[in-house]
Amino acid sequence: MSFRAALRKHRSLRWGFILVILVVVFSVVGPWLTPHDAFMSNPERAMTREFLPVGPSREYPLGADRLFRDMLARLALGGRLSLLIGVVASAIAATLGGLVGVVSGYFAGKKWTGLVDSGLMRLVDVGLSFPFLLLVMAIGAMLERTTVTSLLVTLGFTGWLGTARVVRAKTLTVRDLDYIVAARALGQRRILILWKHILPNVAGPLLVSATLSIGQMILTESVLSYLGVGISPPAPTWGAMLYEGQDSYTLAPWLLACPAMAIVSTVLGFNLVGEGLRDVLDPRG
Amino acid sequence: MFSIREVSARPLGLVALLGLAACDIELSAPMATAHPGDATPRRGGTLRYASLGDIRSLDPARSSDAVASAVIRLVFAALVEFDEQGRLAPELAERWEVLDGGQHFRFFLRQDVRFHDGSRFTADEMKRSLERALAPDTPNPSASYFRNIVGYDSYVAGKVPHLDGIVVDGSHELSIHLTAPDAAFLPLMTLPSARPVCPSAGARFKSDWHPCGTGPFQLRQGGWSRGQFVRVVRSESYFVKGLPYLDAIELHFLVNAPTQRFKFEAGELDFVRDLAHADTLRFARDKRWQPSITRGPDVDIYGESMNTEVPPFDNVEVRRAVAFAINRKALVALRPLHLSVHTSAIPRSTPGFDPTFEGQTFDLPKALEHMRRAGYPFDPKTGQGGYPHTLPYLVYPQGLFEKSGQLVQQQLARIGLRIELRLVSWASYLSLTQRRRTVAIAPMGWSQDYPDPSGLLDPLFGSASINDTESSNSAFYRNAAFDALLARARVELDPQKRTAVYRECNTILRDDAPWAFTVSYHAFEVRQPHLRGYAPHPVHAFNFARTWLDRASAVRSPLEPAR
Repeated sequence: MSFRAALRKHRSLRWGFILVILVVVFSVVGPWLTPHDAFMSNPERAMTREFLPVGPSREYPLGADRLFRDMLARLALGGRLSLLIGVVASAIAATLGGLVGVVSGYFAGKKWTGLVDSGLMRLVDVGLSFPFLLLVMAIGAMLERTTVTSLLVTLGFTGWLGTARVVRAKTLTVRDLDYIVAARALGQRRILILWKHILPNVAGPLLVSATLSIGQMILTESVLSYLGVGISPPAPTWGAMLYEGQDSYTLAPWLLACPAMAIVSTVLGFNLVGEGLRDVLDPRG
Repeated sequence: MFSIREVSARPLGLVALLGLAACDIELSAPMATAHPGDATPRRGGTLRYASLGDIRSLDPARSSDAVASAVIRLVFAALVEFDEQGRLAPELAERWEVLDGGQHFRFFLRQDVRFHDGSRFTADEMKRSLERALAPDTPNPSASYFRNIVGYDSYVAGKVPHLDGIVVDGSHELSIHLTAPDAAFLPLMTLPSARPVCPSAGARFKSDWHPCGTGPFQLRQGGWSRGQFVRVVRSESYFVKGLPYLDAIELHFLVNAPTQRFKFEAGELDFVRDLAHADTLRFARDKRWQPSITRGPDVDIYGESMNTEVPPFDNVEVRRAVAFAINRKALVALRPLHLSVHTSAIPRSTPGFDPTFEGQTFDLPKALEHMRRAGYPFDPKTGQGGYPHTLPYLVYPQGLFEKSGQLVQQQLARIGLRIELRLVSWASYLSLTQRRRTVAIAPMGWSQDYPDPSGLLDPLFGSASINDTESSNSAFYRNAAFDALLARARVELDPQKRTAVYRECNTILRDDAPWAFTVSYHAFEVRQPHLRGYAPHPVHAFNFARTWLDRASAVRSPLEPAR
């Protein structure tokens, strides 16, 4: 089935795709929709007489934040950061998880090489037994300060565990299929079997897992920023905007509503796409 | 793997909750009092309040922050204390004499005082407590304030076992001899490190000692959990009969401003002062709450502390540029009901504050000129030039600095000084900013310990306050002429002449700019009407020693032991 046909057939995939496209477009063109700098305060124009930020207006379509900066510009820049973190961290996690899952699944149950599977899966068990958020915070604390790079590395290197389990399960069903047995009988090298025959057949679940984890990564980054252990200010991440807005939302509700809606739309979008892809790639699953 | 329903339900619920919360902006009504027309104090009840920060130590010999000092004042009484009018009044000392032209203080101690562990308070215990607090191996950030005591230098150098200047004249008579008259000596005796500690504290500082003193409240075992709470209970042996009225006081740590407000409205806190600007405005606008609002005195000053031992701030021209580059009105807009523009080292409520003194000002062209003189010319149009390195700037979550730091970052970028905010914990912020040659620039605040200019100028800018760690002089500022003026002000007993000396000090600080002074802070406090007998103290925050509770319905704290 072509992607266009899949979009027509699966409603959740279609809506998810539309949401993701909207978020991407907003993040890319958003900063150009406003003449204001996302990092510069403008109390002369963005502050009320009660020293509160101005609400949505023609000049500030989404209002201003507590430091009298343009919410629209910050939300769009925050979108770029969130998408970057979500996509790259998920890619790292998918690569690691895919690699571990394929290797582990391929060697599972064999006499000596099975030890590789046992070792890797126990590692996954240990990793999964830690609360994910605490693990990420502990690694973040060890790195002393949080930057985009350190966050990518932390999220990527802690987010692969679930993916590895899924890929391993799929590899276990694929590795004993006739064409793999035939390839082995023909003397094809193990690395080529893994690369040419197994990996393409586990790509579906891997893609679904990676897409779903984008939303999860964005959510985790938001939670970290909200808890005050995310990227340092003035980086406009959505979680940090939520955190900054929480003390003024009673008189300036847009401070919470804008980043909250952005997080929900994006996470929902990626989750719908992930679910849709699962239906398309594995209709019986 | 998780299903779409699980994943999407949580954020959608959050948004719905936020929507509901945003609609509900009406404050709860103040809680009723049981006896509104009756001003007779009543005994009983637990007063609860909260703080954004945590405390490191409850040992008076090691106290350095306002949150800990408030608890220390409840547990440890002093020889003399400031009364509700800000005048020095007897506490553990019934009376005192000033002899030898201000170089000899003789204290006559109360005979009816017992420590919380039951032992008697005597002049010997007072001498031991002072020597313990000033001993060379005690991490006491305010020890140098007491350097005027005869024999201080030999004692802190470890050459002699006792402080010669502290003499026990009798079981309840104590003399303290000074090397020179000291106008600030009696106010100094109200500091935490001059408060007597139980004999269990021993003669030398031990970090594992359980705090125990002679104050109106005592700390029981398990009454302090780091990062969570401290609970002090009424001392039945307190020497002022009938006091305190409260059974206990609880302080909860690390509670952010919105949570404090929620808990306060829900009746889980009786007093709140860490309010965000929007909530401050809501209380100020609400007529029902106005009788329960108090404004504290301006006793805290804030500024940007520049480490004079570290580039680029070892160059006075760069420091001057920063002082001229900061638009203080923009900082005030963050919390207009708490902050005022302040451009010198002495707070408005401190005797000796000179309203005619012209402090540091905001003047961008002058700031750029000083950057040019420093060798870092900057062109604001092209953004070219300036100091070539990015400087880390430490802030901790939840406080004012997290927001003000972002404004300072924008303002300093206009003169070519690029700073990068780094979020660290409160404890890391304190330890790093007070460590030598570690942090180049940091936002800093100081709460006066006692109402005298020496309570700010000596610890913040006197070279005697420089330490390798836990240095209250966070700018590591050293100026012999300034030190000489501080010494002169100390021995000057004429208030007018003293004010003139401090004016000279302020002039030096304005021009040398170890700090870019920015704003002063006064508390905006809201209490439930059932917290009675409360008035902001002219010197100390959290003045609860004589308050009482008049709740209409009984409340039991979860920290209260089961009966």
